[in-house]
Amino acid sequence: MTGFTDLYTEGDTFLHRMDPRVKIAAVVLLSFLAFVLTELRYLIILLAFIFLLLLMARARLTKTVFALKFVLRLMLLIAILWPFFDRSGTPVIVSMGPINITEPAIWRGATSAVRVGCLAAVWYILMFTTSQRDLVLALVRMGLRFDYGLTVAITLRFFPTFVSIIDSITDAQKARGLEFERGNIVKRSRNYVAVLVPAIVTALRTSDALSLALQSRAYGARTDRTYVRELHMRATDYAALAIFVALLVVPLAARHVFSVSV
Amino acid sequence: MIPRPDSSSHDERIISVNGVKFSYDGCVPALAGVTLNLKRGEYVAIVGGNGSGKTTLAKMLNGLLKPASGTVTVRGKSTLDQSVAELARYVGYAFQNPDHQLFCSTVDDEVRFGPHNLGYKGDDLSKKVGRALETMRLTQLKDKPPLSLTLGQRRRISIASVIAMDSEVLIFDEPTTGLDTQETDDLMSSIEGLNREGRTIVLITHDMRLVAKHAKRVVVMSRGRIVLDTDPRGAFSDLDLLRASSMLPPPVVILAQRLKKYGLSGEALSPEELLYLVFRGKGGIR
Repeated sequence: MTGFTDLYTEGDTFLHRMDPRVKIAAVVLLSFLAFVLTELRYLIILLAFIFLLLLMARARLTKTVFALKFVLRLMLLIAILWPFFDRSGTPVIVSMGPINITEPAIWRGATSAVRVGCLAAVWYILMFTTSQRDLVLALVRMGLRFDYGLTVAITLRFFPTFVSIIDSITDAQKARGLEFERGNIVKRSRNYVAVLVPAIVTALRTSDALSLALQSRAYGARTDRTYVRELHMRATDYAALAIFVALLVVPLAARHVFSVSV
Repeated sequence: MIPRPDSSSHDERIISVNGVKFSYDGCVPALAGVTLNLKRGEYVAIVGGNGSGKTTLAKMLNGLLKPASGTVTVRGKSTLDQSVAELARYVGYAFQNPDHQLFCSTVDDEVRFGPHNLGYKGDDLSKKVGRALETMRLTQLKDKPPLSLTLGQRRRISIASVIAMDSEVLIFDEPTTGLDTQETDDLMSSIEGLNREGRTIVLITHDMRLVAKHAKRVVVMSRGRIVLDTDPRGAFSDLDLLRASSMLPPPVVILAQRLKKYGLSGEALSPEELLYLVFRGKGGIR
């Protein structure tokens, strides 16, 4: 778990070099595209395209496998469960008591599974290739207030720390004879109080110390902030942005102007 | 380090670590083949630089970590077959940061938590809690909320909550971090007392003065291996090895070693010993 809290992998692929704002735009545009497309085959092409980009990001294999597993499990779950709840259409394949499975429902389930797969996988393009620092910088440059940007940065930065604190607290309570898996649900949830209370207290103490550290380094002394790193859109960034926009516009035009089913 | 074969005291052996290897990420070994036997009533200090494997080894002893290869046995039974909670009955582990375990609304409840989990009840439970509170000088504070107390007091509570479980082996991970001299002395003398009762003490520390003063056996770790396993005197005499493991003996030990050039005979672990060596045969200290 701890190893995957930061998905970013250092690298020098075109995706790493791409302006983070373009990557954020790409995630948004491709997500819209996943909703625009209704034909299963086009959604599969979109999913394949997203995975192609992921491959080109050259993330470490363990991370890619982790990401893939998550997306595939999610897709499988949707594909399997969908026909049980969507009972409309003919022909009916199975009809046993409350279970009524139809062929169109199976197709709709598959379509939704691939769509959700696209929506989940598209984030990895951004997360694999953009450092947290760049991500926050991009958000601030796109109009987010710096305070909020910093909050996002701190949250991301402290997430792994917090995970390891929780591990350590769990170990400490186990060493005091606490068995998390024992007892009924009430007893079990009470066991977690022994982890949650120290975790919250430690988090509060940490944030208190952090705010002092920020103030003692003159945080907020200037309202007109300057930045060590600046973002610059280059020609390739504009080209990439144009391609991502086109990817969304072309199917929309195909449907509404040329009445092609996509 | 090759363990000394000692069949006569085999029954006294409470924890055996045999050729244990372990890695957190599957690449860098945290333990690269460690063998260590702990006998009942020992006072062992595990020392070594940061990342040398001290804490990993300690977590093996109470089953928080299980060996990837090799075996760890507590009272003759492998830790693989026992949960941490079961092992807590025999091996207590006081964590470095008290804030990682305190969650109750009174000190008394906090100390009660461990022995209660182990199934102690009634008078037996109250007696164990009372004794732990007394040992850590917390009886006065027993109705106070732990989180409002000072770091030194919180550390004492976390230690009391471990010793209340009445386990034979007690592991202390850097128990003196952040304590002042007085608090350190008080804590260390409480730990001495527990050792005198016959409990096995495992002290993980960076503080060589504590080692010189209290430990009877020193295990020096470096890069996941035990590089030395001897008494403090022996450990401190190997300066090169200590330096290679990013440690130094206490100043008084170094001073005594330097004074050898000027005719001092023998080594000193404490100021008293040094004074004795210097003034021996001169009619004592004036």
